[in-house]
Amino acid sequence: MQPTLRFRPLRPAVAADAASTLDLLITISPPPLPEEAIRRARPPLNLALVIDRSGSMGGRKLSYARKAARFLAGELTARDRLAIVAFDDEVTLVMPSTPVRDPQPFLAAIDTIHSGGSTALFDGWRAGATQVAEHLDPLALNRVLLLSDGQANQGLTDQQEIAASVAGLTARGISTSAFGLGNGFDEDLMGAMATAGDGSLAFIESPAQLADLYASELQGLASTAGKRVSIGLRAKQGAELVDVLNDLDATEFGNFRLPNLRTGQELNVGVRIQLPAWKPNQEILSVRLAWDAPGGEERQKLIQTLTLPVMAAADLAGLDSDPVVNEQLAMLRANRERRRAIEQLDRGDIEAADSSLQAASALMSAMPSSPFTSRELRLLQEKRDLLRQDRNLSRKRLSRESLRSKSIVWEQDEDK
Amino acid sequence: MVMSDPSSSAAGEPASSESYGLEELLAAAGRWLGEEITSRTVRLYATQGLIDRPGKEGRHAVYGRRHLLQLLLIRSLARRGLSLSAIAPLVVLPDDELERQLAGDSDDPARKGSNEALDYLQGLKSKAKATARSAVIGAAAAAPPGGLAQAGLEAARSLLPLLGSPFSALPSPSTTQAADEPPDSPSRRSLARSGGTRLAASRWHRFSLAPGVELHLSDSASIPPAGPRRQAWAQRLLERLEQQLEVPE
Repeated sequence: MQPTLRFRPLRPAVAADAASTLDLLITISPPPLPEEAIRRARPPLNLALVIDRSGSMGGRKLSYARKAARFLAGELTARDRLAIVAFDDEVTLVMPSTPVRDPQPFLAAIDTIHSGGSTALFDGWRAGATQVAEHLDPLALNRVLLLSDGQANQGLTDQQEIAASVAGLTARGISTSAFGLGNGFDEDLMGAMATAGDGSLAFIESPAQLADLYASELQGLASTAGKRVSIGLRAKQGAELVDVLNDLDATEFGNFRLPNLRTGQELNVGVRIQLPAWKPNQEILSVRLAWDAPGGEERQKLIQTLTLPVMAAADLAGLDSDPVVNEQLAMLRANRERRRAIEQLDRGDIEAADSSLQAASALMSAMPSSPFTSRELRLLQEKRDLLRQDRNLSRKRLSRESLRSKSIVWEQDEDK
Repeated sequence: MVMSDPSSSAAGEPASSESYGLEELLAAAGRWLGEEITSRTVRLYATQGLIDRPGKEGRHAVYGRRHLLQLLLIRSLARRGLSLSAIAPLVVLPDDELERQLAGDSDDPARKGSNEALDYLQGLKSKAKATARSAVIGAAAAAPPGGLAQAGLEAARSLLPLLGSPFSALPSPSTTQAADEPPDSPSRRSLARSGGTRLAASRWHRFSLAPGVELHLSDSASIPPAGPRRQAWAQRLLERLEQQLEVPE
């Protein structure tokens, strides 16, 4: 089963008699799988759970982390492997990678985790990764789950270097998800690790959310339809790709990295293309999607090209724009404003950050009202209010929301 | 070193029905582990509850296969730096699981050698050391033993296993164990290290093709299988090269 790739132009034509700008949403829909089938056919999981037990995790956070770890062990089956690593300034292999035939030994091991010193985050990750690597199974989903509430302050701490190490492991078949807990973790590092790790990202403020998060992670792993997904965009015949609104990370070949394909989760890539006066039936853009199917050996590819009808520029301006495309593009632009606001916050310029968020709100308010736009507006307003009250929390949430453009970001169901 | 599977019942190895006295247990464990195990060690583990209580036959303690498995697992994990409290939850596992743990723990060079992720992680471990070494090794590679023609030959040989498969599917040359590599691969060695400070994600491999001429290959480069596709690929590369050479000053 292949994913489908849809071109959704903001306006369904380009100009024949003048230069024009084409705003386009490329929607990737993973192949549908009934829930039943997912459960039955899910590949085995080869996981390492890496838990920060530095001093700051002490008390409630660590007790929830243990509880959530017990939950995770209870959800896995004899086909799955789980290793548990805890780290402060030292790394402890709490449980070597073992098939989960009986959760009991895991539960006993989890109870031995107590809080300690500083945060050797990279070493902890590497120990977990090594456990997964020792049992690397091309047919399984091999992943490290990293839970931390702090900044890496021991061992390797450079964000780019850590992310590069994580990316190198991704290329060798082991992905990494990064979960930040509380208000002291390094959101930039966790974001970079999850993106480079081809895993998911979660920023959670209450440790009580951990069990839900792990449940969602397992569900997500079970519904993985494509890993190491990349998208290549080639504008043709003098058309020029001027912007990719998601600000995706580049891969080696001038392609872009996308998060995992998960059944039921569409990925949207927003692009802007500048065109000279266009001839009919001329290809505008060629898109090449590539991914690894779980358990598959060959890299999968899907190539699709875009052609659009041409018309006079005057008529083009009169065409209605697609409201859904409009909303999605506006959200991608608003996420970019969030990134700008974070940079301004880091320079200490709260006024400028506030204006960026205001600009983001303006983008969303320009859309016809819908549940989607109302939610986005509410999120933005909340961050603006927080800017002055709790700059740190505001920054964390802005970072999480902006990363929706290029990662799988866990969001708690909002039915509370 | 004697390395046999403790679950098999080959001569001298434990079968499930077998029972031993303390001396026999120590001998069997010592054989398998390649280290001497003393009775004190066994008593220590027993008092800590890591090894099940032995049976009694008259006044003698009698040990079975499970005791041996527990002892082997404790020693193998302890040698990997696990604390006894970390090991404790494992020794209560059923026998077949103890075996599996042991099997997973034994250093099977064939399995590890083919595990690129593991090699990679081990490479990360001593990246700092490798960086410090790069200058020295780089200098050594500049004047390979056997002269320049020899260097070209060696390069061709080290490229061979890469052909026909995506680069990333192959074990990458170690970035850390320069000293352990065979001395006859200077070209390959030089460059694994040259990128010590570069991002590990975009590792490049360099091959000397001729004096002063090197080929750089990224980890992610895929080389078509032998046959017309490879010929076409090489042809395209040659054309690109010629174009580059013709660029006017």
